[in-house]
Parts: sequence; C-alpha cells; structure tokens
Amino acid sequence: MKDTATESTTRPRNPVRGALASFDALTLTCAGVLALLTLAAVAGPLAGVGGDPTAIVGPRLAPPSAEYPLGTDSLGRSLLPRVIEGVGTTLVVSAVAVLCTAVISTAGGIVAGYHGGAVNGVVMRIGDVLYAFPAIILAILVASVVGPGRTAALVSIVLVTVPLMTRMVGAAARLVCVRDYVTAARISGVSAPRIMVRHVLTNVSGTVAVQTTYALSVAILVEGGLSFLGYGVQLPASSLGLLIQEGTVYMVKAPWALLAPSVILVLAIVAINVIGDSLRDRFEPRKARSL
Amino acid sequence: MNHLLRVDGATVDYTTRHGATRALDGANLTIAPGERVGLVGESGSGKSTLGLLVGRLLPAGARVGGTITVDGRDVLSLRPGDLRALRREVLGFVPQDPVGALDPTLRVGRQMRLALRGSAGEDGNPADLLERVRIDRPDRVLRLYPHEISGGMAQRIVIATVMAAAPRLLVADEPTAALDAQSREEVTGLVMDLAESEGTSVLWLSHDLRAVGRWCDRTAVMYGGRVVEDGSTRAVLDDPRHPYTRALSRSDPAHAVPGRRLPAIVGGPPTLVAGAPGCAFAPRCPRAVADCEGHRPLPLTVDGRTVLCLRPETETTVPSDVKAAS
Amino acid sequence: MRILTWLPGRLLGAAVVLVGASALIFAAVRFLPGDYAQIVLGPLASAQEREALRTEFGFDRTVGEQYLLWLGQAVTGNFGHSLASGQPVAGELAARLPVTALLTAMAVVWTVVIGVPLGILAGTRTGTTRSTAAGRLVSSLGVSVPDYVLAAVVVFALSSLPLGPSVGAVGAPAQDLGGTLLALLPPSLVLAVFTIAATARATRDAVLNVLVEPHVSAAVARGETRLFIITHHVLRNAAVPVLTLTGTITAMLLGGAVIVESVFDVSGLGSYLVQGLGRRDYPVIQTCVLLATTVFVLMSLIVDVVTGLLDPRVAVSGRSR
Repeated sequence: MKDTATESTTRPRNPVRGALASFDALTLTCAGVLALLTLAAVAGPLAGVGGDPTAIVGPRLAPPSAEYPLGTDSLGRSLLPRVIEGVGTTLVVSAVAVLCTAVISTAGGIVAGYHGGAVNGVVMRIGDVLYAFPAIILAILVASVVGPGRTAALVSIVLVTVPLMTRMVGAAARLVCVRDYVTAARISGVSAPRIMVRHVLTNVSGTVAVQTTYALSVAILVEGGLSFLGYGVQLPASSLGLLIQEGTVYMVKAPWALLAPSVILVLAIVAINVIGDSLRDRFEPRKARSL
Repeated sequence: MNHLLRVDGATVDYTTRHGATRALDGANLTIAPGERVGLVGESGSGKSTLGLLVGRLLPAGARVGGTITVDGRDVLSLRPGDLRALRREVLGFVPQDPVGALDPTLRVGRQMRLALRGSAGEDGNPADLLERVRIDRPDRVLRLYPHEISGGMAQRIVIATVMAAAPRLLVADEPTAALDAQSREEVTGLVMDLAESEGTSVLWLSHDLRAVGRWCDRTAVMYGGRVVEDGSTRAVLDDPRHPYTRALSRSDPAHAVPGRRLPAIVGGPPTLVAGAPGCAFAPRCPRAVADCEGHRPLPLTVDGRTVLCLRPETETTVPSDVKAAS
Repeated sequence: MRILTWLPGRLLGAAVVLVGASALIFAAVRFLPGDYAQIVLGPLASAQEREALRTEFGFDRTVGEQYLLWLGQAVTGNFGHSLASGQPVAGELAARLPVTALLTAMAVVWTVVIGVPLGILAGTRTGTTRSTAAGRLVSSLGVSVPDYVLAAVVVFALSSLPLGPSVGAVGAPAQDLGGTLLALLPPSLVLAVFTIAATARATRDAVLNVLVEPHVSAAVARGETRLFIITHHVLRNAAVPVLTLTGTITAMLLGGAVIVESVFDVSGLGSYLVQGLGRRDYPVIQTCVLLATTVFVLMSLIVDVVTGLLDPRVAVSGRSR
C-alpha cells in the first residue's frame, strides 16, 4: 500500500487513461462500436443523414448506390435513414426498459438480501414465477394483452430481465449482508435504509453493472424478436427487428435489406456481451492455474 | 552427505499486473533421509513457495531458477511423466485446508481408493488406514461426504491417504492452521509418529514456533525469500544468531512474559524484486549498518548453524526466563 | 434416504411456481379490458353463445373460483375451443406437439454433443492469449446472433443454393419419421446455436472454477495424470453448474422454437402460438404459454433432483442457481 502511494506521487497518472488501459483491446473496440452506434442514432436524424426515413423516394428494392447507400425497401424508402432510426428506436426502448429493470432488481435484490428469510423467499418466488416463462413466449403473452407496440416491447423486456437480475443481485447482497461489518453497523444502530445504501449497494455495484450489461443485450434480442414477429414497434416507425422482418420477406430479391439491420444488431449484441464478460472478469476475478 | 532434498539458490519470479515480484530469492535448504525440518517465517516469506517448488507445483506463470534435487533427481528438468512418478512415489503433500483437499462430490472411501490406486498403498484397506490415524468407526466415516466431516477428521483422512503411499519426503504446509488447539496437537503428533515409523523425512512449514521446537530436528528460518538461519532446532530457536530469528522468537506469544509488552518486529515484510541489492531484513534490523543495504550477505557458519547475515549476533542475549519457557 | 429430506420442499416450490404462473396467464386474459365473453368468443358470437360461456366459466362466482375452474379444466386436458377454428385446442395441440418435441429434442442433442465437449476443451487447454480471444469472440457470436437472423439466413441459403434439404411445411412425424428428421435438421441446428454457445461457455467457466479448487491441486500433488484428474475430479464437479443451466436452456429452446418454427414453416407449438397471437385466439395463447411454462418448471425440477444426487452439498445448501 505504501509503495503505491509513493509511486502515484512521483508518477501522476491520468485516471481516465488508467481505467481504459486496464481493459483489453477487444473490450475497448466493442465500447467504441457501441459509442459509434449511439452517436449515429442521435446525430443521424438531427443532421438528416440519408433524408426522411418515411418518404418514398426511389424505386422499390433498389440495390445500394451512391444515392441510397443501403438500398431501398419494398416501398421505395431509402434504407439508410430507416436503419439509423431503427438503431435509435431499438437502443431507446432497450435502454429505458433496462433502466427500469436495474432499478427494480437492485432495490428488490438488496431488500431481499438484507432481510433474508421470508422477504427473500417471497421476492425470489415472484422471480421464479416470471422466470418460468421463456422470454419470447412471455413477450407474446404481454403483446396479446396490451396490444402490439412500444409498450408491449418495454413491458416484455422488463418482465424478462427482472427475475434473473434480481436473483443475481439478491445473491450478491445476501453474501454482503452476512459479513461482519454489516452486522457491526446493525448493532451500532445504523438504520436499515442507510446500511442498504452505504454498505450493501456499494458492494453489489459490480454485480449490478455486470447484470445491467447482460440485461441490455437480452433487451435488444427481445425487442428484435417481438418486432420480428410483428408485435413490437409498429410501422411507420422503424426498429432493427422490424427492418429484419421486412428484410426476410424480400431476402431473395434484395438481400441487402436484410443484411444491414442484421449486421448492426449482431454487432451491438456482441459488443455488449464482450463488455459484460470483461466487467465480470473484473468484478469476479479467477486465478488461472495449470495442471 | 547424502541428501534426500537439496534446494540450491532457488528463485521464483512472478509477473503481475503491477510488475515483477520475487517470491524466492536464492533459497538454500537440505534435508537428510528421516530428518524432520521445520521451516518458519512470517506470511509472504516464501515458505509455501518453497514447499510447492519441491514438487514443481507452482502456478503457471512462475519463473523458476536454481536447482532442486529430490532423491537424486533434478526436479526442474524432469519430464512430465517422471515428474508425476516423483510426486506419486517420493513426495507427499499435506495441505493447509483439509476439507478443500477432498473432492466434495465423492464419498471419503471412494476418493481414498481413487487416490491410492497405483501407489504403494494400493493394497491397503481404507478402513485400516483410517484406524492408523486413530479414527473411530472408520466404516461409517468412509461413507460420509467431505462436507459432513470436521476439519480435524478431514486432515486425518488426508494424512492417512498421503502416508499410505509411504512417501520419502512429506511436505506439510501449515497443516494445523485451520484446526482447533486440541486437534492441532493430535494431528501434529500423528504425522510425526507416522513419519517416524515409515522413515519419512518431513518438511514442516509453520508459524508455530512451539510445535517446531517440540517436533523438528532442524529449523530453517525464512525471510524475504531466503533461508536466513538454518541449524539444529535447539540452536536456532533457543540461541538465535540472525537478528530476524531473534526478533521472531521474542515476538512469539509462547515466550511472553506476564506484565511485559510482547516485542513486535517494526516495519512490514518486504516486497521483493529480482536483483535487489543488500539484505532484505536491513530496513527493519536493529543491528543494520550501511553495508547491509548494499551487500548481499553470504552464508556464514556460526556456532553450528548457517546464518545469512553480515553482523550475526554473537552472544546469548535472549533473557533466561524466555529460554526456560521454550 | 437423503433425498427425502429435500425433495418435498422442491416439489412444493415447483407447485408454487406453477400455480403462480398459471394464475398470471389466467389473470392476463381474464382482466383484459372489455367483455370477456366477447374477447374470447369474438365479435360474431351470438348472445346465447356468450351466455353459455359465462356460465361455463362461472362468471357468477368469485375470481378465485373461476381460476380454479379454469385450472381444473386445463389439468384434465380441456383447454377450451380455438376461436379461429372452433376446434378443441387440445386436439389441435396434440397434432402439433410431436414436431416441437422432436425439434427441441434434436436441439438438445446438438447442445450436449457439441457444446459440452467444446466447453471442456476451452476450460482445460490454456492456450495463447490470441486463441483465447478468438474463442471468446466465437462464443460471444454464438450467443449474440439472434435466432431470427440466423433462421432467415439459413432459409435464404437453403432456398437459393442446391444444398439438399429444402424448406417447406414440416408436418407430423408419425407418417414419415425419416423425412421429418431430415427436414428438422436445419431448424434444429439453428435453434441449437445459442444453447451450444451458452453451454460451452458455462462448461468452460465451470471447469475453470473446479481447476482452481484445492482438491484438484491435491490430486496434482499426488502425481495423477491430467486426463485422470479431468475425468475423475473435474467433470463431476463441473457438471453441477452446467446442469443447473439446463432449465434455462429448456426455456431458450422453447422460446427459440416459436421463432424458428415460424421462419421454417414448421407446424408445431411455436407457430401455433404465433398464429394464435395473430388472431387474438386467447384459448390458444393461454394453452401454449401454460404448456411451455409447465415444461420449463418440470425440467427445472428434474435438474434439481439430478443435481442433488450428483453433488451432496446442493441438497444441504439449497438451490445453487
């Protein structure tokens, strides 16, 4: 400890560069890909890249060209602005849903982990019930009740991702809550909410970060799946799943219409999963040994 | 002299995220057949590294130098098959965490039979082996899973299994650290008795100076990855010549004098890097002079033991009451 | 017997989950805004039909009683009538179930035969950093390519290239088992890609976790060979976390079947559900969801029992998921 202190005074380090340097190249590339996609989704429509996504501008199913960089769809709309809009829709729906999941699961997991016993049992049973529904099947049930659209996608994602994340956070919180410093805080009269925030939340933040990342990739998958079946985001809006679904209809005549949204979707999910793995390795390190 | 184990100038380096660190820094040690050697030193002094090195059991990424000879075989250059044969036939290891050393998914009897397969103890009946380590109703114990038995019981099972193969050299890495005081005495006695009857040499890594003083013929003291004092247990523990050994034996609670504060060793253990000059203990040493920082001490023979020090203590300065307590 | 100490608790847990899930499925449709009879029977039903349905479902009783009535009928195999065809859902389901069972069973076979060995290989061979990174990327791709993209690409490839099995309606396996198996080969592989990658990753992690355990170090110190240690001390230990994943994999396969069956035009449970969703055919939707959930819960229960038998600690420490 003393050595590190003297080292950091003699050699000041840029904290941002230090944090970046601790991740490997693959992880950083993936973070870059995500940043680029987000930037495109935000700046693209503002700058009017590719024109109006809903306007019918050219021939139907035209291959990529200088005028239509990603080609046109079956109605003659330029695909580039539609893909950009689709990325935005997918990211926004997924991010909002995952934010809800993170809040619900972190709160639920910490409360369950802190109280243990019956409270833990009830929270985990509720999670078990939701967990018993295969993701896309739960999404279909939701869509059949609330009707197709953004709300269905949002609610489905939350219901699909909450059980697993609550269970993971709950397990991590349980481990923290039986530690001596939490017991010590309880004995010395610190209030339960304060312990949950000060001691438990700070110590499960790694798990929360890892699980939120994974939940985001599940969210994109579910949104895409529901839109693919035609019950997620509805026309004339656009989302990656919807574009893929449209692409499959004409994929023999116009494979590019399927290719662009598929590649972007896969890229986004791979990037998020790689970042999730990297975060997990960071927060749950494991020593390697040879036989 | 014919040594069973000979460690000559052993070095072990690791490359970590924070740079290179050195776990062993030219350690020397010999063990004769049948000899019981206690290896003492604080955490991080290199005891465990040295113990594992004897069977080339260090984690991947360890860079090893020097020579280690066991039973005339050059351990560091053995081919995988020969290395396994050495581990199987000549060496025995007793770990610190006995419950963890048992496969959690197998009943005790089944894993003992698996472990004994192909070794000298193959024909041994596991129940008889358990009786040798004084376990009552061995047939019942053989049917239990590791999570159903106590640490003391698990350590006896491990010892029974290891000793069934009649190893020539037993390396025990703080085998009693996880046990309660009662089991500690019994398990230590058990290992030493079994080793004596089999003619097995013992390398006993320990913090417990009292146990080492009671059971070991010779004591080697490690500091900073080197063996700094090595001689008969009586000489080393009762009349230390290296300033570190002296400080260590003074800070042993067993030597506590009622009403007097137990002297602590000032400072913390060193973090070693390869090729550092000087004596690793110099920064904490009350007798250090300028030379100690710049020159590595060479082995000196003083009063029948080897000391790695430029200025070894010359006379008995341990208070007589402390001496009596040991 | 040891198993009797924890099995009743597990059975109770599974029952609670099933009751909760079925209640949710019932409530979701029962509390749709609007007239339940009209929703269930469609706008074209006559007043008498609606009245008959109300009596059948006991609308004069409490909600709890209605649920029990519905559940009781479902348990005895009476899932009501499809709104679209007017046929009993049970009969239509019976015609479609074998195909889905076959499809998912094939996917399970691929998962076990390909995923587990890959994971063991990745866990026990500590390769160069470059090969490790490559493995990471490939397995990440495996869990990241959505089934709908993969299915679309495979259908595209099969229909545009003369590769053998053509894509077409896959019917009941009873008439032509060989033909059905061949036709199900591409969809089952597509279905299995995700679970193969997920299983390989879980197996690799499990193997790596066991390798750092002290009992493995102890076996190394005894001079055991690498192969012996892996087969006798690693695999059994690593099997537990991999097996606990099986329940999740079942869920993935059932969910994946919905997509894959739709894309490959396989008339099984999944495409039935999607069809039902398209027609707002609530009895069909309820039945399919209930069935998928039941299968998942039963699989998890079986896995729990097997895990408890494999690793005695699980029985003591409770669920290890």
